[in-house]
Amino acid sequence: MGQKRGRDVSGRSAVRSAREPVAWGAAAVGLLLLLWWLATAIPDLVPPRVLPSPIDVVLRFVALIAEPFSGATLLGHAVVSLERWGIGVLAAIALGLPLGIALAWLPPLRAVVTPGFELLRYIPPFAWVPIAVLWFGATTTTQAAIVFIAAFPACIINTQLAVAQVDPILARAARTLGAGSARTLAKVVLPVAAPTIFTGLRIAFSNGWMALVGAELVVGKQGLGFLISQGQINDSASTILVGMTTIGVLGTLIDAVLQRAQRLALPWRPAAARRFE
Amino acid sequence: MTPKMEIRAVSKTFHARGGEVAALQPCDLAIGNGEFVTVVGPSGCGKSTLMMIAAGLEAPSSGEILVDGKPAGPAGPRRTVVFQRFALFPSETVADNIAFGLRVAGLERAETERRVAEQLDLMGLTRFRGAYPHELSGGMQQRVAIARALAVRPEILLMDEPFGALDAQTRTVLQEEVSRLQRELHYTVLFITHSVEEAVYLSDRVVVMSKGPGRIKCEIAVPRDAPWRGLEIEEAGNHASFMQLKREIWELIRAEIVRH
Repeated sequence: MGQKRGRDVSGRSAVRSAREPVAWGAAAVGLLLLLWWLATAIPDLVPPRVLPSPIDVVLRFVALIAEPFSGATLLGHAVVSLERWGIGVLAAIALGLPLGIALAWLPPLRAVVTPGFELLRYIPPFAWVPIAVLWFGATTTTQAAIVFIAAFPACIINTQLAVAQVDPILARAARTLGAGSARTLAKVVLPVAAPTIFTGLRIAFSNGWMALVGAELVVGKQGLGFLISQGQINDSASTILVGMTTIGVLGTLIDAVLQRAQRLALPWRPAAARRFE
Repeated sequence: MTPKMEIRAVSKTFHARGGEVAALQPCDLAIGNGEFVTVVGPSGCGKSTLMMIAAGLEAPSSGEILVDGKPAGPAGPRRTVVFQRFALFPSETVADNIAFGLRVAGLERAETERRVAEQLDLMGLTRFRGAYPHELSGGMQQRVAIARALAVRPEILLMDEPFGALDAQTRTVLQEEVSRLQRELHYTVLFITHSVEEAVYLSDRVVVMSKGPGRIKCEIAVPRDAPWRGLEIEEAGNHASFMQLKREIWELIRAEIVRH
């Protein structure tokens, strides 16, 4: 939400309308927690093996932070996951952004690349797990490769679309002012394309995160996905719930950081465009 | 004397699906130094195509564009363009938009600052120097576009229906302002419009084009010392000589519209 920065937003009613949805959302979460607690507090309604009480989950969370489980503490598993995710996502950006720009800027390249790319795009990231294990073993590289495969299409497709959608009249105006191709691209086209590119990055980040957890369920000896699979093997629903919550919270945080970065990077965006984020 | 800009036998044919479409028949037009020439014609007569070719943004199918008697070459800051849709860079402030061409030219920072300040002052934009285009009204945006085009001190200013997207009041104000600038600074201008009144009010010469595929039908001189020069457009329109010119040009265009 951009209410805090929006120049058109003023007065108390606007502030109230910005806070109300947050309050309602918090109330809903609170209600859910209450129902959860009630379900586990009434004896014999739900067995703890199926659904532990919220208090048990919090205790388990504290325990997992304090002492290692399946080779690492909760923080250790999270760091391993974030590292794999970071490598895969950075590789996807490093390749996807320049390639996406090139595809939009150089139409002949598009004709060469598109058919092969379209074919590869419809192979789901998990279908790459066996071949990745065969190539790289059960290593960080394998996990990062799965993240890359999940994140790359969103990077390249959105970048290409974003650049191709920039009104050609802007490039024409730049040319009449003497700008060459490189300058027009860097100073005029890319800034205008940036919001759509950012949207692509957000999708890429979350695709990568989801694919990583999936891959960790199958391959590897550390990571949040591995943690919840160990929870299953050890018949510990509270471990699974702690792992799932951590995965969800970290995913949300990643997205929030990116949205904040976008707002800092693009101060010129119309307030109207911001409000729909 | 060599004209400042010469459009020599320029024609344009577009290759569309199912054959070729002629947009422009060979056109000749010479614009003298410091002259304000306006092209009017019915919609679809190819006047915007002629402008794009004059700017170097589109290649002619035949003919050539000369500046000072030499081929004009690709688009560049010798001939800047004011577009109907403003075409401001949305990620840059007013001052940065105006400075764009100066930075491309590699001007020193102090000189860039000076010229930006000069243009801001000339177009009444000083208060808005830090604003982004989307924060401005259409009229203000077009002022920025004019300032940006003038900042690089072009030899020829090309204006493609620059007031076509503005409301009537804003248009009047900008017409009067461009007229004032022209009387003070004597730019060489090629101006495209579909408004006969605007053409008479601003120009030294009005060129009427025929219906598509366009060709230049005739040219009408507007005396620089006409009694209504320097008046507001509303007042100028009440002068007999103004009305006479307007009627004469309008009749020429009407003949084109009803021609089958």
